[in-house]
Amino acid sequence: MSYEWHDAATWSEALALLERHADDATVVAGSTAFTLLYRQGLIRPGHVVALRRISDAARIDADAHGGLSIGAMATHSAVASSERVRRSWPELADAVSTVATIRVRNQATLGGSVAHADPASDAPVMLAALAAQAVVVSGSGATKRRVPVDEIFVDTFTTSLAPTELIHSIEVPARPAGARAVYRKFTLRSVDDYATVSVGALADLGGGTVNALRVFLGGVGPTPMRARSVERALIGGPADGRRFAEAAALARDEVDPIDDARGSADYKREMARVWTERALRSLVEIS
Amino acid sequence: MKLAHTATIPVAPERVWAVVMDIPVAARCVPGVAAVTSTGPERYKGSLLVQIGPVRLILDGDIAITSRDDAARHASLRADAKDTRLGGTVRATVDILLRDAPGGCELRIESDVQIGGRIGEFGQPVIQRKADQLLGQFAQCLARSAT
Repeated sequence: MSYEWHDAATWSEALALLERHADDATVVAGSTAFTLLYRQGLIRPGHVVALRRISDAARIDADAHGGLSIGAMATHSAVASSERVRRSWPELADAVSTVATIRVRNQATLGGSVAHADPASDAPVMLAALAAQAVVVSGSGATKRRVPVDEIFVDTFTTSLAPTELIHSIEVPARPAGARAVYRKFTLRSVDDYATVSVGALADLGGGTVNALRVFLGGVGPTPMRARSVERALIGGPADGRRFAEAAALARDEVDPIDDARGSADYKREMARVWTERALRSLVEIS
Repeated sequence: MKLAHTATIPVAPERVWAVVMDIPVAARCVPGVAAVTSTGPERYKGSLLVQIGPVRLILDGDIAITSRDDAARHASLRADAKDTRLGGTVRATVDILLRDAPGGCELRIESDVQIGGRIGEFGQPVIQRKADQLLGQFAQCLARSAT
């Protein structure tokens, strides 16, 4: 191995290592993305800062406002099987259960998934739909700021975070009364693949009206893409299937997909429409 | 891989052309370029840092102007670069054409890029998107430099 591996014991130690090695350091949480990039020969860092030895970094707690505080190092499997998560946001548990295979889910972490910013990953799309926030630490570890998850993603594999910042935890707001959420993932090749398109949605459909709605799509742009035109077309009107179908067509113009092994850009636009409509319809079917 | 980019610049073409053909000055307009220096008549060397998330490419290479027609505002360049750390090469032939346009000029850059080694793992769509970003920023910077 050409790199020096550092097992930080605390957040402040990890942050100090990042300050010291600046551009020559890569942070690893569960190491799944790192291993792929390293074996492909696409990264050759001099230093690897591992977060796995930081105590309590994987805790899943209730926060003071009735929401969830999920430690950045919590694995997808831990989130999927957490009683606390299942009680408040079972749809998040379901979403992270769709990631790759059990071996990947046992290793890959929620914080790592957000920090890696792969636009086809599952957790970022659902967390954005649920209006989750990342708690970001810097300096000696005492400086914390909160960033809405959807504002973290700026481009493929690229975040708005500084190289000397780390995601400490993810906060998911308390479940509003009457909230409905859904995550739908379409894989073209095998169920453990990255999404050709995925849709995360959160809605309040009380009284048969779309009172609130957030829709995010994965795999069809450089970041999770917010389907604002779909939201605008539906909010304030009745929650019915015909309107959902019309509004879902607007998703085609909200996305910016590329041609790759998971489909042509045109195909992905069409699938964005199809799966947005399916996600919206399934919100109504949830009682 | 063939790439074509067009940018409209609200500055008189003769001013933009002067900047474009001053390679060390024009290169400063490409985000990630470290000092480009002349190595002979119509020949230069320099390096370009391209970052896609955790992946950092440091392309060291040479640029040669292979043809130049100042009257027609048309030039061709050849660039050969490699990243020795990751093991990859980029070879490009670039055609630059500047045309009059209402209120300024239109810059057209057509490139034929061959990517070898590991860099190719990224695939054309990701590379194309990055090239689009770089060119967009290049054109904006040229407009500022020429005014």
